[in-house]
Amino acid sequence: MVGRLVENLELYGRLSELDRRAIAALPLTLRRFEPGEDMVIEGDAPSHCRLLISGLAFRHKTLRDGRRQIMSFHVPGDICDIEGLLLSMDHSVSALSRAEVGFIPHLAMEALLDGHPAISRALWRTELVEAAVAREWMVGMGRRTAYARIAHLFCEMYARLGAMGLVENGRCRFPITQTHLSDSLGLSVVHTNRVLQALRGDGLLSFRGGELIVHDWPGLQAAGEFDPAYLHLRSVAA
Amino acid sequence: MDLILQPVMVDTGEEGEGCLVFAEGWLVAVLVRLSDSHEDESGYWFLEKGFGRLDRPDPPSFSDLPTAEQWIKEHLEIRRPPRWPGDPGEA
Repeated sequence: MVGRLVENLELYGRLSELDRRAIAALPLTLRRFEPGEDMVIEGDAPSHCRLLISGLAFRHKTLRDGRRQIMSFHVPGDICDIEGLLLSMDHSVSALSRAEVGFIPHLAMEALLDGHPAISRALWRTELVEAAVAREWMVGMGRRTAYARIAHLFCEMYARLGAMGLVENGRCRFPITQTHLSDSLGLSVVHTNRVLQALRGDGLLSFRGGELIVHDWPGLQAAGEFDPAYLHLRSVAA
Repeated sequence: MDLILQPVMVDTGEEGEGCLVFAEGWLVAVLVRLSDSHEDESGYWFLEKGFGRLDRPDPPSFSDLPTAEQWIKEHLEIRRPPRWPGDPGEA
């Protein structure tokens, strides 16, 4: 199960056999979360890293009147609360779908990183990529049209899920609701629904029952002005 | 405060039925009727665009026009908070 972490880190750089074995030896306690359930909440000072083994998760912040902003989505192999290793949580992380999460004690993680500089660098790289993703979202929210914003998010998730081997024949599980989409892209649910109809109508994708089907990958990338360079993946799903 | 609703076609890619909402001669909102593609909210009136105090990041939908008018009136009558130190705000 902790192999998911190896797969994820290796998307961004090679690890030695010794590094891989050290990761495989990490102590890990498995927990399941239901859709919408909080994995860690704002203000927490976690004592474990939460490694997503299966399912999807998202980071979010909620304003006093209940308006929510989703900041990112997480795919298997991601540590969803890595900042908790060094800081307290300034936002919450919840399960998007039913999710299996491996809890790794911080002490074990610290020992791993102290003893294996290549793992440390790989983890640092994943965090830099996460910051790159956040910048791309900011560009989208500030400057892209609603149509391009939604197309771009679907491209991003399709590429990231593909890199983890979770895309098959142009299909992947992405059980996001229109409310999640609007909360992540700063759109109303009404606008989100209209754009989804338009993307479908233009023959780029289908999105139903939590499944994303990409019918026209070049067309979807063009619609989203999507250039996967910011993901820094060694290989990108096509 | 009286509102005047003026029917208008709005190009949102849907059926287009909409109305301009005026308060004391000022255009304050554009409402659009949602089509069947909006499932739970089909037939509702959506605040497509609110101006001034009605400009919101989370525009609501209303089950009918009287409910929309009520909401618009309430939000137009909310006292404007002071914008800078010393500004008395609005009575």
